Amino acid sequence: MADSHLSQNSVTIERTFNAPVKLVWQMWTDPDHFAAWYGPTGATIPVAKMDVRVGGSRLICMQVTTPDGPTQMWFTGEYREVVEHQLLAYTESISNENGDILAPSDLGMPPGHPVTTEIRVELEDLDGSTRMVMTHLGVPADSPGAVGWTMALDKLSTLLEEH
Amino acid sequence: MESIGAVTTPTDDEDRLSETFAALANPTRRAILAHLAHGEATVNELAAPFQLTLPAISKHIKALERAGLVTRGQLAQYRPCALDAGPLAEVASWAEQYRPVWEARFDRLDDYLDQLQSRRETEGRNG
Repeated sequence: MADSHLSQNSVTIERTFNAPVKLVWQMWTDPDHFAAWYGPTGATIPVAKMDVRVGGSRLICMQVTTPDGPTQMWFTGEYREVVEHQLLAYTESISNENGDILAPSDLGMPPGHPVTTEIRVELEDLDGSTRMVMTHLGVPADSPGAVGWTMALDKLSTLLEEH
Repeated sequence: MESIGAVTTPTDDEDRLSETFAALANPTRRAILAHLAHGEATVNELAAPFQLTLPAISKHIKALERAGLVTRGQLAQYRPCALDAGPLAEVASWAEQYRPVWEARFDRLDDYLDQLQSRRETEGRNG
């Protein structure tokens, strides 16, 4: 956390909830519970598909009512780590309703916003209450554009090993 | 000593941030910033790549000035434009923009958990 570069690219929030860890886990993994708290005030979550297992995908729709009518924003991602009642990590990208990832810059988002971010939730059972540490970080290494770089670097390291 | 004008409220910060976002949400203005990233330029030089009138370009530059992204020389007659990356750094820290969003979410989660549990208690007593 002391690393300023890291903190620029992530936000960490710690909370203790007066609820058992099992229930807090459901808040993140049960679509109905998740929809109840996740959207901003005045927004609804009409779609929350969550295949909560490593490699499983998620698709969330957030609907906000603007003066021009309802506007929907879609988010897709993949579960990376699932340890029941302890650890949940998933990626998140802005997408369309089919889960196709859209570039933040195409949506008029400012430069510097990563295509893919990761949300990491760690839970700790405090004898009836639950300590939660949530980290939201940018993962440039996982962005579609970075895949090419990773492959290029892999090829390069293979070549270097051969020589 | 009271100086109301010097008071900085979070709203002022938010306003400045919205100005920055608004200024960036336009391809012509982003192209102007990209040009200025290579160094100072005059309005004529900035206008050259675009099929826009000088007044139109000046309007874009004024929007960038309001957002604090562009400064203009005072002395030279042609008043060259220069990039000020300060507000960009603020915007680039996207993660911090999410902090209030998450805090608000977790406030709601807290309330929701209370609701759920008091409902359970009631049901428990009745059953």
